[in-house]
This record gives sequence, structure tokens and C-alpha cells, in this order.
Amino acid sequence: MQQNKRLIKSWIKKQNKIGQKVILPIVILSFFSNIISMGIAWCIAQILGKLLLPSIHLPVSTSVLLSLYIVLILLKGVLIYSEELTAIKIGLIARKRLRSEVLTQIIAAGPILLYKHSIGALSSIVIDQIESLDGYFSRWLPISILWILSPCTILIFVFFIQPWAALIIGLCGLMVPVAQALFGIGAAVAARKQFIAMMRLQGRFMDRIKGIATIVLLGRSNDEAKKLAFAANELRICTMKVLRVAFLSSASIDCAMIVSIILVAMVDVGSFYNSAPFHSVPVTHALFALLIIPEFFQPLRNFALAYQDRAKLNSAAASIVVLPESSNKDKVNKSWNDTELYALEFSDVSFFWDPARGKALENISFKTKSNENITLIGPSGAGKSTLIDLLLGFIKPTSGIIKLNGVDITTLNSENYASLLAWIGQRPVIFSSTIKENILFANPNASEEQFNKAIELASMKKIIQELPRGIDTVVGEGGYGLSGGQAQRIAVARAFLKDAPLILLDEPTAHLDPRNEADIFESIRILAQNKLVVLATHSVSGHHLEGLHLTLEKGHIMSRMMVN
Amino acid sequence: MKNPQKKVKTIEAFKEIFSVWRVHRFSIGISIVFSLLALGFGLALMSLAGSKVALSALGIAMISSLMLKILGGGRLIMRYVERLYTHNVMFKAIADLRVWFFKKLAKGAAAGLGFRHSGDILSRLVTDIETLDNLYLRIFLPFLGFLLTLLVLIASISMINIPLAFILSLLFIISGFVCPLLSAWITCKRGKNLIQGIAKLRMVSLDCIAGLKEVRVFNAAHRLQSLIKKHEAILFNEYHAQAKIIACFSSISYLCGQIAVLCIFAAAMDIGFQGIHPLQIVFCLFLTLTAFEVVLSLSKAGALAGQIVNSALRVVNVNDGYVYVEQGYDSTSPCGFDIKICNLGFRWKENTPWLYRAFNLSIKQGQRIAIVGSSGAGKSTLAALLLKIIPATEGEIWLGDKQICDLKDDLVRSKIAWLSQETHLFDDTIRENLRLGYPDASEEELWQSLKDAAVDDVVKSFPDGLDTWLGEGGIRVSGGQGRRIALARTLLSKAPILLFDEPTTGLDVDTEKDFFQILNRIALDRTIILIMHHLTGVEKIDYVCRLFDK
Repeated sequence: MQQNKRLIKSWIKKQNKIGQKVILPIVILSFFSNIISMGIAWCIAQILGKLLLPSIHLPVSTSVLLSLYIVLILLKGVLIYSEELTAIKIGLIARKRLRSEVLTQIIAAGPILLYKHSIGALSSIVIDQIESLDGYFSRWLPISILWILSPCTILIFVFFIQPWAALIIGLCGLMVPVAQALFGIGAAVAARKQFIAMMRLQGRFMDRIKGIATIVLLGRSNDEAKKLAFAANELRICTMKVLRVAFLSSASIDCAMIVSIILVAMVDVGSFYNSAPFHSVPVTHALFALLIIPEFFQPLRNFALAYQDRAKLNSAAASIVVLPESSNKDKVNKSWNDTELYALEFSDVSFFWDPARGKALENISFKTKSNENITLIGPSGAGKSTLIDLLLGFIKPTSGIIKLNGVDITTLNSENYASLLAWIGQRPVIFSSTIKENILFANPNASEEQFNKAIELASMKKIIQELPRGIDTVVGEGGYGLSGGQAQRIAVARAFLKDAPLILLDEPTAHLDPRNEADIFESIRILAQNKLVVLATHSVSGHHLEGLHLTLEKGHIMSRMMVN
Repeated sequence: MKNPQKKVKTIEAFKEIFSVWRVHRFSIGISIVFSLLALGFGLALMSLAGSKVALSALGIAMISSLMLKILGGGRLIMRYVERLYTHNVMFKAIADLRVWFFKKLAKGAAAGLGFRHSGDILSRLVTDIETLDNLYLRIFLPFLGFLLTLLVLIASISMINIPLAFILSLLFIISGFVCPLLSAWITCKRGKNLIQGIAKLRMVSLDCIAGLKEVRVFNAAHRLQSLIKKHEAILFNEYHAQAKIIACFSSISYLCGQIAVLCIFAAAMDIGFQGIHPLQIVFCLFLTLTAFEVVLSLSKAGALAGQIVNSALRVVNVNDGYVYVEQGYDSTSPCGFDIKICNLGFRWKENTPWLYRAFNLSIKQGQRIAIVGSSGAGKSTLAALLLKIIPATEGEIWLGDKQICDLKDDLVRSKIAWLSQETHLFDDTIRENLRLGYPDASEEELWQSLKDAAVDDVVKSFPDGLDTWLGEGGIRVSGGQGRRIALARTLLSKAPILLFDEPTTGLDVDTEKDFFQILNRIALDRTIILIMHHLTGVEKIDYVCRLFDK
């Protein structure tokens, strides 16, 4: 926890450092815009003063004032336009950079993330959390400079024109940071809670949507809707807590502003009465002071509005720092010959997911000859999938070493190592795209000829002919419209297209009926020729390969056998 | 299965959303009053403060400081109360909308989500529904505020000078109504792009994350990352293009306000508008400045209209093409639970081959039967027909003394409990997962069902027992354990008929045999229908029905 806090702090520091460089244009534009607003207020005050008391003497003629006014408002119009666009641009650039960083981190950490985080939570970091950071860069960082710079500048000008008013406005302005500090702490805590509630709600929705058929068939849709209503209401209460504080802090600014308007008006009025014949406070100055008050408080108001953007960075930081740092840099990039033969060696390999649940694999040691196949046999939960995941490099041994041709596989660059692998799991992920693109995923540079060969070897020809649009049929998330057998054939076709020397098969036919199982195994046999195959299977009588047979139970090797 | 059903049009979409919100109409009315009061105080405060200075400069004391203080205090309190109240009302309405959305989704979802991407549905549920609160907070309320301000402006200035009032209100309408309307109109088409853009981005990111294993093995990191970047660039270009439009109209809206000030100056110099007293000029000026400030942010809000319309459509159209109309209305339980299938015929569409024709089957209450056939023989379709997920094309299915097509869907499903490889385990505790099958189950019943399903030892070995979190899709337990927990859930339901659709797929042979031996021992008083591609030989069944491919 402590370490997390440190990580969050250093991450935020890094973001601020990057941010400070990019926000300069918007700070300059906004500052300029404030100066112009002052000019506009000054012009209006002069013209109005002259109008009220034609006797007063103006520094310049009314026509000059009017033309100055027109020039200034046109300038301000242009500034409003460019300020807004600049802010948007800064936000977009920042989000682009962050998304790319986070994605790189997620991809580098790889599948192990899926055991610790839900898909919904990870995708919400990539999409929602990063989108929510827009305001931090486009609003919060600039305003965190401007909220002091702009009011102070205005105050200096007002001081030269109307010292009394400057004093009142300044004092009222000082109330704002005090109130902010008071409310800000509460707001940050509440915002964090709100964000957690939001994430929880989202995770819940995602999960319930995926299992909606189960809910409907259990006749629980109304109950689930009620639970959902409860969660949504919880979110509302959290959000209202955040807003209550946020509104209070903006009310404190309103209060300061209204007090200063009333006080300035009263002081001016008082001075008119006391020294009416001399007009010690010229009416133009009094009006200027009154007109400038909203301008003075605008940056403070923006500051309060942007404050929640800062809280968003904190919550985003908390989710982002738990992603492991990518560590592919010092890894070896070994070149493998096309003709190379491969042998595996496990020495004393143990692995546990969670210390509380005991070891998934314990002291596994075995060695194979070159291109000798391995069949892992055992009931579910015996550790077969864990062993395959270790070989895939998705997870690293808690202790012990896995060697491929004498090289510790954890020292290899993950891309380099993956180039050796083909893999068919229990259920392939079918992307929402066409069948063709789903297969070409394994090797996008494959020629038409290679592609056709792969679908033929995976015995997909007939399936494709039956589909409405052939290989260009779009398949949905999870492969809607494809049966388990058809989806698995896509995985087989991918493996053929990749043509890698190491083939890892994790119960590839677990979810299939016997006819499909036989068909898939026929394809796998062709695929396996002259390659090193590791097959995990739970069926004792099923399809086996020649080579080393290891029987696993509760993370241990129970028996070894050579089958020829 | 796509029905050629017409998409719901914009107006109907809003009607539907408003009907969900109707329960809050009283609170919404109050919030409107609050918000207009707060605005009124603000307008009065600024124009009176200006007038007071001007009057005093001329040596007249007409407006007391007390008046200003009351207005100031009123403005402050009303503004705070109004904001709290309106937001609270709106969040309640949004929460209702989420629940309504879920219920609506559930109606069309018995057969699963189909081609609909769960990421897309999630973004409808989260982002799109959230966008809808802008409809009230950032469009409807500010529009009412605009109307009120316009009335005040016309009423007060027309007493001073009618042509000036005319010009000022015209400028005000351009600034507060025409500009926002135009930005709404122009971004309407583009709002769709934004929402689709973010949905698309979410979709490719979800694909990438769900397929992390595939991405690693097939070295697809760079490819998928550049695909995500491509979709992000499309989205960001759209953001930028829309920002340009919004910025442009904001700028015009600002300039209108300043032109109004120029008009007042002209009036002050007796150009165009004659005979206005300087004091009235000061009053007009302060009122005008405040009024235009009220509508300054409306152009930005107007640009949201496009997004809102599209969000509304996406939320209302969630079941587009998946409309399922409940046909049965009979909610009284039938007498007896014999199943009789008479002359059943089914095909997915006209012109497609019949999956079943003249199919007859009779299952007496308490019997145990197996329906065996290779995949493609339509075993699961039979399950779907029994569960009323799809309607029979011809023929009848009787449950006891009633036809299932006359019975309510939920009633049928409460009588026939279903377990298949697609049964979902939820990201919740084991206890909550089990209780989905029977919410009132006691601790004892929960453990009994786990024992029946032979997972009680496993659950006991977890440090948190029944409160162990299962994780998404039951990822924290092994496949076999997960299936047995799902079995426990099915056993827990009080349904007299248990329908197992290939319940042991993915289990190893020993566990599979255990499973059926367990089944032989339990639920002796219930009808059991086993749908399998092959029998293991240990099942105790009364008879086997074999389906063949034609």
C-alpha cells in the first residue's frame, strides 16, 4: 500500500513535468485574454462615466475609446476561439500519449494480467480512465497557474485605479483559497469513493451482460435489476457527496464575489456622498472596479471547476501504477535456425498463483530429447494448464528454470520467444471481424496460397462454403454463429498459418463432441509433423502422441512413460 | 435472426426515455422553479448594483444596500440549493434509466447477446446513459433560463425604448438560441461519429485485452496497437472538428453580446435610439452584460445535442433486431409436470430446411431420459424450444395440462432449470452465485447443494468458504470446479424439471463419471432431461431418445 502511494506520487510528478511543458500556449493565450477583458472593462467604464457625468475629463476622446473597444472585442472573439481549440489539442495529445503508454504496458505484461484483473477493468483503464484525464491537461494544469497569475494582475491594475476597491476584492479573493483548502480535502476523498463505486458498477454491468442468458433463464432478471438499482443508487449517493462539496466550494466563490460587489458598490457610493463636489473617486474608476469583479473571480471559479479533474488523475494513477512495468529491455534476442531441433528441460519448477491456495505446480523436473513430444495427462486442476502457461511465457516459474535448447526461456525477449510458438487453447478468442481476418491474425503477411492451404489443412473448406459470405463472414465477439468446433478450427488454421516449431495444445478438444474431436485431432496430427508438441489432455483413453507421457496430479508428476 | 423491424425514430426514443422519467415529474418541476429563481436573483443583483453606483454618482439614493444584500444572499443560497436539487433529481432519473435498460436488454437476451458486442452494450449503458443527463442539466434547464432572461430583457428594456429592446433581444436570441441551435444542428450528424468512434475504440481495446494470450503468441502487439491508434485518431479528428465548430459559435455568441453593448453606447450617444436617460443606459448595460453571460456557455451545450440524440437512439434501440415478444400470459402453474411434445416442427426461417418435423416425445414426471445425438442434430435447439427461447414453428409442447406457449416465460423457466457449458458464473461470491438459483436458500441448503454437486470439500478448503470471490467467469476456480458450482446452483432451484445440456463438456472422464453418479443419487423426485452427444454408461436413465442427422 505504502509502495503504491509512492508509485502514484512519482507517476503524478512525471505527468506534471510533461504537462508543464505542453500547457504554455494555453497559459499565454488565457493570460492575454484576461488583459484584454480588463481593457474592455476600462473602455466601458470610461464611456459610461462620460455619459453619466459629461463634465469629467477623459484621457482620450470618446471616438478613440469606441474604436479601441471594437478592436478589443474582436481580438477577444478570436482569443475565445483559439483558447478553446488549443485546450482541446493539448488534451488530445496527452490522452494519445497516455493511452499508448498504458497499452504498451498491458501488452508487455501480457496474459498474466487476465488472472489478476477483469477484462472490463482493464479496458476501462484504457478507455474511460484515460478519456477522463482530458481535463487534467487541458483545464487543471493551465488553471493551476492562471488562478494566481490572472487575479493578481487584475488586482495590480485595480490598485492603481481604485486602491480601496483593490483591497476589498483582494481580501474577498483571499477567502477563496481558504475555502478551497477546507472543501478540497473532503472533495478528494469523496471523489475517490465515487470513482471506486463507478468502477464497481461497471464491472458488475459487464459481468451481468455477459451472463444475461443465465440470468434470464434462471428467471432472475427482475432481482438482478433490483440489485442493479441498488448499485446505481449507491453510485448516485457517492456522486452527490462529491458534488455537494464541489458546489459548496463554488458557492464560496459566489459568496466572495457577491460580497465584493456589494462592498465595492457601497464604498463607492459612500465616497460619492462624502466628497460629492470633488469626486475623489471618479465615477469611471468606480464603474471599472465593479465591472472587473466578475473577471477577477472567473479564474478562481475555473480553478474550483477543474479541481475534480485533479482528483481524476489521482484515481487514474492508482489504477495505472498497479500495471507492471514492462521489462523487455534487457532480454536476449536470440536467432533460431529454421532447421533447429528443440528440446525442453524443466528443473525443479514450482509455481503458485496465490500463496494461500498452495502450489499449482511443485518441483517439476523432466528433460526431453530433440523434437520429442510431451503429453500431459491428468484431471482438471492437476496443473496441466499452468504448465502450458509457463511454457507459453504467460507466467514465470516461482522457482526453478525452464530451458529450451539450454536457454532459460525467461531471459528471452518475449517477441523473440513467441515467434517459436503456436498454441491452441480450450477456447480461442475470436475477434469481431471476418473469418479471414481472424485466421490471418496469426500471420498477416501470409500469401493467398498459404492462407488457402491453412484452411484446407484445418478442414475448414466445407464450413466456409456453408457460411453466407464465405471467408468474409463477420463473426461476433466470442464467435457468435460459430459452433465450438468451428471456432476451434479457426485456432487450428491460425496454428497452420504460423507454422512455428513449438506447438502447445491445452486441451484443444475439451469442449467438443467426439466427431469434432476426431476431426480436430486429425488436423493436429498433420500440424505436429516434425515439430515439438506439448499436449495437455484429461482423457486417459483419448488421442495421444508419441514421446514422453507425464501424468500430473495436484501439481506433481505421478508417473512418466515413453510411448513409441 | 435479424428481424426487419423498423428502428425507433428520435422523437419516439425521447418519448420512451421521458416515460421512464415520468415518475420524477414533480421533482423536476420543483427543480425548474429553483433554477429559475436562482437566475432571477442573479439578474436583479447585477443590474441593481450597477444602477446603484450610477444613481449615487448623480446623488440619488434609490436602491438600498439592504436590497442588494437580500438579493446577494438569495442568489447565493438559491444557486447552491438549485444545483444540488437538480443534480440529485437527474441522477435518480439516470439510475432508473440504467435499470430500465437492463430489463429491456434482458427481454431480448435469453438466447445470449448474439452479434452484439458486450463492449458496445457496456458503452451504451455507461457512456450513452450518462450523456443523457445533459439533456436536462445542460440543454433543457439552460434553455428555460434563456427564455426567462429573454422575457426579463424584453420587459425591462421595452419600457425604456422599444427599438432598443427589439435590437437587444434579437442579438440575445442569436447569441442564446440561434448559435446553440446551429451548433446542435451541425454536430447532430457528427455526434453520432463521436459516440460510434468511442464505441469502436472500446471494441478494439476489449478485443486486444480479451485476446492478450493470442496477441502474445502471434506477436500481434504492434498490429493491434496500431489498429487501436487508428481508431483513436479517427475519434480524435472528430473531437477536433467538433471543437472547431463549438469554438466558432462560442466566439460569435460572445461577439453578439458585445455588439449589444455597442448598441447601448450608440443609444447613449443618441445615435439611432433617441431620448434615453443615462441612468437607464447604465441599467440596460448591466442587465445586458449579465444576460449575455448567462447564455455564453449555451453554444457549447448546444453542440452536445447531437451526442444526446444519438445516445438516446442507441439506448432505446438496444434490442434492435432482437425483439422478443412474450407471448404467453398465463401465470398459473400447470397441474403436473409431464412433458408432451406433439407433432413438433421447427425451422429457423422460411425456406430453410426443417430441423424437426412431426417430432413426438413424452416424458412423464419424475422420469429420467437422455436425448443423444451428434452436434448439428438439433439437441440444443430442443432445449431452446423447451425453455421458450425460440417458438416452435408448428406443433405443440405441453407442460402438464397447459401448452408452454400460453404460459409466461418466467413461469416455464422456473419449472425447467437449465445447465449447460454456457451457464455463466458471475464475478461475485460463491454464495451469491448459488443464490441466483434460489434467493431464499438457507446456509444449510447452500452447503447441501454443494455437497450434492461434490464441491463442498473444495469450497471448505477456501479460506473464505462460501464468501470466496469467484472472479470473472469463475476464473479463480478450475473449469471442473466451476461447472460443479453451476450444478449446485441448478440443484438449488426448486424446479421440478432439470434440463442438462451437455453438462460435462470440458470435464475429465473421472469427474464426468462422478458427476453422473451424483446425478443418479439426487433429485430422485425430479424429471431429468440429459442432452448429450454420447453416454458414459454410468447414467441411470429410463430411456434414451436418439436424434439423427437427416
